[in-house]
Amino acid sequence: MKNVLTIAEREVRTYFTSPLAYVILGVFLMLSGYIFWASLVRFSVLCQQYGNNPYVFNQLNVNDMVIRPLFGSMGVIFLLMIPVITMRLMAEERRTGTAELLFTCPITTGQVILGKYLGAAFLLLVMLGATLSYPLLIMASSAKPDMKPTLVGYLGVLLMGLAFLGIGLLVSAMTENQIIAAVGAFGALLMLWAVSWVADSVTVTVAGLLNTASFGLWEKLNLGLGGPTLGDLLNKISITEHFQDFRKGLLDTEHVVFYLSVVFFSLFLTQRVVESRRWRG
Amino acid sequence: MIEVAGLTKLYGSRAAVGGINFSVSKGEILGFLGPNGAGKTTTMRILTGYVPPTSGTARVGGFDVQDSPIEVKKRIGYLPEHPPLYTEMLVRPFLRFAARLRGVPRKDQNGRVDRAIDRCGLQPVAGRLIGNLSKGYQQRVGLAQAILHDPDVLILDEPTVGLDPSQIREIRQLIKSFAGEHTVILSTHILAEVTMTCNRVLIINEGKIAADETMERLRARGERTQRIAVRLARPPADPEGALRAVPGVLSVTRETTPDGSFAVEMDSARDAREEIARLAVTQGWGLLEMRAITLSLEDIFIRIIRGEEAAA
Repeated sequence: MKNVLTIAEREVRTYFTSPLAYVILGVFLMLSGYIFWASLVRFSVLCQQYGNNPYVFNQLNVNDMVIRPLFGSMGVIFLLMIPVITMRLMAEERRTGTAELLFTCPITTGQVILGKYLGAAFLLLVMLGATLSYPLLIMASSAKPDMKPTLVGYLGVLLMGLAFLGIGLLVSAMTENQIIAAVGAFGALLMLWAVSWVADSVTVTVAGLLNTASFGLWEKLNLGLGGPTLGDLLNKISITEHFQDFRKGLLDTEHVVFYLSVVFFSLFLTQRVVESRRWRG
Repeated sequence: MIEVAGLTKLYGSRAAVGGINFSVSKGEILGFLGPNGAGKTTTMRILTGYVPPTSGTARVGGFDVQDSPIEVKKRIGYLPEHPPLYTEMLVRPFLRFAARLRGVPRKDQNGRVDRAIDRCGLQPVAGRLIGNLSKGYQQRVGLAQAILHDPDVLILDEPTVGLDPSQIREIRQLIKSFAGEHTVILSTHILAEVTMTCNRVLIINEGKIAADETMERLRARGERTQRIAVRLARPPADPEGALRAVPGVLSVTRETTPDGSFAVEMDSARDAREEIARLAVTQGWGLLEMRAITLSLEDIFIRIIRGEEAAA
């Protein structure tokens, strides 16, 4: 654990002694702040318009109209920015030769990777922590947002960000080129995002697909052709589909487990990739 | 301290290291000598646990590099060919980071860092950005990083590359000062470096060990066959044939300079110099010069690499 923290601490120092952390924080706060402000303005205009119409006025809800869209847009911003946070993690070590220092010190590959991941996760926490000021700003006004769904939303954004970081780290370990690492991670994340878009139209069942692939053997073995469709499966692996419940303020362990397994699995694969690259020299 | 047996590393079908064996005892300074691409760096990377071998074993301090890499890495200080430095860090924090990674106890860290800075002459730059340092200072930071934890074994891959002559001398002095308590392996393709710092040399060529000898024995090789240079004012019509006829002479070659110089190789058991002198005087060739040529280390090295001289 001591070694992990040593690596993580150096990673955090690197982020914050270079302009990188400040640019990322600045851009993130600017975009999310603007979106927050814009939806707040729209909300207050609507409140004024329907102030004397109690039916509509009671439908207006600061959680639904300001905070929920805010989490949605944070997800999109993460999709674009997290590849930039993770691109240098392993790729740069390899390019500059400092990997040779890390891997000839008495620490394990897993410790190096976990340390790097925690360093990047710290930057993510700082980014999200800074946006906690938005709901606090609303609370200072007369509107009273419901804090429980807000915190659940934050948990969701954090978990999604952590999953993105894991995938970004994995791609970074595959190359020495930071641009390739960033583009690769962006592509992977976008794919995992878009994969559910066709979910509703894909109605063939998974079992049916396996039956076709095994030339009817599946059916002969009486394994059944019903069950979930391919679309259901795509929905399950979509990294954003699991975020929808968090946005609504619903806390479901299924989604928590999903994100944590993405993190665990990508860290595990990163360790394998780094080890295998050592064998190849 | 270090035992290497049948070590092989294949990259695809090409063998970077093809089954080498050697051992180094405590306190020795071993020079790895060989042309570029001979397998020096690969061997060092295997010893430090950075690259796993394809087959064979390497043991450091009794621990196998493959089976207990952490124990091996604790005992090794390593300076790779390109010093592994985080250019965006200051010298002192970088060394502290390295000390923590190398497992130096917290209370000793400051002392060890100060000592390494002292030994490598880094005081003037201790507070500067590594990226802004000259190549020489960067190399020293790399060396400081390797000696921080007082390792039993120090592995240095071309430690003097890119340094100016006075820096090279300082680094060599520094390396020499490790002899006795530490075991040092250093690689180089500069012979003078081996002559000055090492007490044993391992010549590697094309992934194989071409020679493994102490410096004294390597030098003695130069004297095994005796060569002399002979210069004549009026050489005979067939000087090669005439000199060849002298008992004990093995070969005669005319030097490329047009002033009647010949290189004569003799059997070391039978000194033909006296006979050649007498012949020159009686035949009136006009002997101007006769001197012994001892093979320089460069010559020996090149001969070994070309395989002209069988490995001992």
